[in-house]
Amino acid sequence: MAKRGKAALTVCSTAFVTLGRAQARALGDASLPIAVVPHPFGLRSRDEIREIASACVDEVAGLVTGTQR
Amino acid sequence: MNAPEIDRAATLECADDLEAINRLYRERKWSDGLPIVPPTPERVERMLAHTKRARYDVVTHVAPAYGAATVERIAVNAVMAGCDPGYLRVLIAATEAIADPAFNLQGIQATTNPVAVWLVVNGPAATSLNVNAAFNCIGQGAWANATLGRAMRLILQNIGGALPGEMDRATQGQPGKFSFCCAENEDASPWEPLHVERGFRRDESTVTVVGAEGTLNMNTHSKDAMELVRVMAETLIHPPSNEYVHGGEPWLIIGPEHAEVFKRGGLTKDDVKRHLWEQSKMAASQLSTKELQRARDSRTEELGEIEAGTLLPISPTADEIMLIVAGGPGTHSTYVPCFGNSRAVTRPIEI
Repeated sequence: MAKRGKAALTVCSTAFVTLGRAQARALGDASLPIAVVPHPFGLRSRDEIREIASACVDEVAGLVTGTQR
Repeated sequence: MNAPEIDRAATLECADDLEAINRLYRERKWSDGLPIVPPTPERVERMLAHTKRARYDVVTHVAPAYGAATVERIAVNAVMAGCDPGYLRVLIAATEAIADPAFNLQGIQATTNPVAVWLVVNGPAATSLNVNAAFNCIGQGAWANATLGRAMRLILQNIGGALPGEMDRATQGQPGKFSFCCAENEDASPWEPLHVERGFRRDESTVTVVGAEGTLNMNTHSKDAMELVRVMAETLIHPPSNEYVHGGEPWLIIGPEHAEVFKRGGLTKDDVKRHLWEQSKMAASQLSTKELQRARDSRTEELGEIEAGTLLPISPTADEIMLIVAGGPGTHSTYVPCFGNSRAVTRPIEI
């Protein structure tokens, strides 16, 4: 998406940030913005997931608009 | 014509000392944790003499790092693993196979699941290369089995970039990730061998790659074919199974004595698959609540609405239960659970 000129980012849980960064480098976009949320997802209720989503909105918006790296 | 620089294996000078070389490989994370055979230019050349493929041919790019798997780089890893030069063509075919989208190498390499890449060799190459299909065929002791499986792991790690804790996210992994390779015991099988089932001639040689999550021994002295089917089917049923959540491709290594029981009971390979599929259906209520939701996310299109009482088949069709005959004498067969989101791929081995 980024290569097509669209705003793009990935959301990773803390346990997968290493993979996300390495994968972005391997695919030729080392600067791909990655928003980080707490791990794990699998144990959480839908309400908890909503809270996590709300908490990372600003980070996601900042990464997409380029005001945060 | 020279190949682009990026596709050449790097060479470096090092003291002619095995311990120093292994220290270097250890520091750079180029090994699987065991000592390696130094891939000197001479050894790599000897390996390359056993293929008609050009040195810098890119066989594929290996996920998740998408490193270029040139024939030369495959040969380097084969030397490191201790392979005989004649094994190279098996590894080239296996490397082609893992790149097939149906195999889902990206998922296999980066998952938290304990997925090994299991190599199954069929046809004349299995005999000529002495790939063990009999006693202890997925255990230790046979040079071809041990080093071919190990070389595949090094390719996955060194070309594919799947280093544990980095891009390989396996929670625990499993011993098969060091090495997992065998041949089918075609002479002991009452049925057509795997590669013939998958569309190849019996006199062709093939390698099949399987995303394998482990091995589970099934020891039964039963001499009744249908009873044997029943206990095997009940072995497959376990709630925390990726196969039931996603619709998998379970593999069974049928021991020759069990294969004989099936033969005497008049069961064809298709019969055994069909009975196993029917009898291994598991009530969705046996899944945990989370897994039931995951099964719904993954299989509603295939099965329709999934309720607690829905009987989930282990695979979408009976054909997707895979059977090979291997091993020596004894009342044992082995269940090899599959990753779930993966299908085995077979490729011909260059003559």
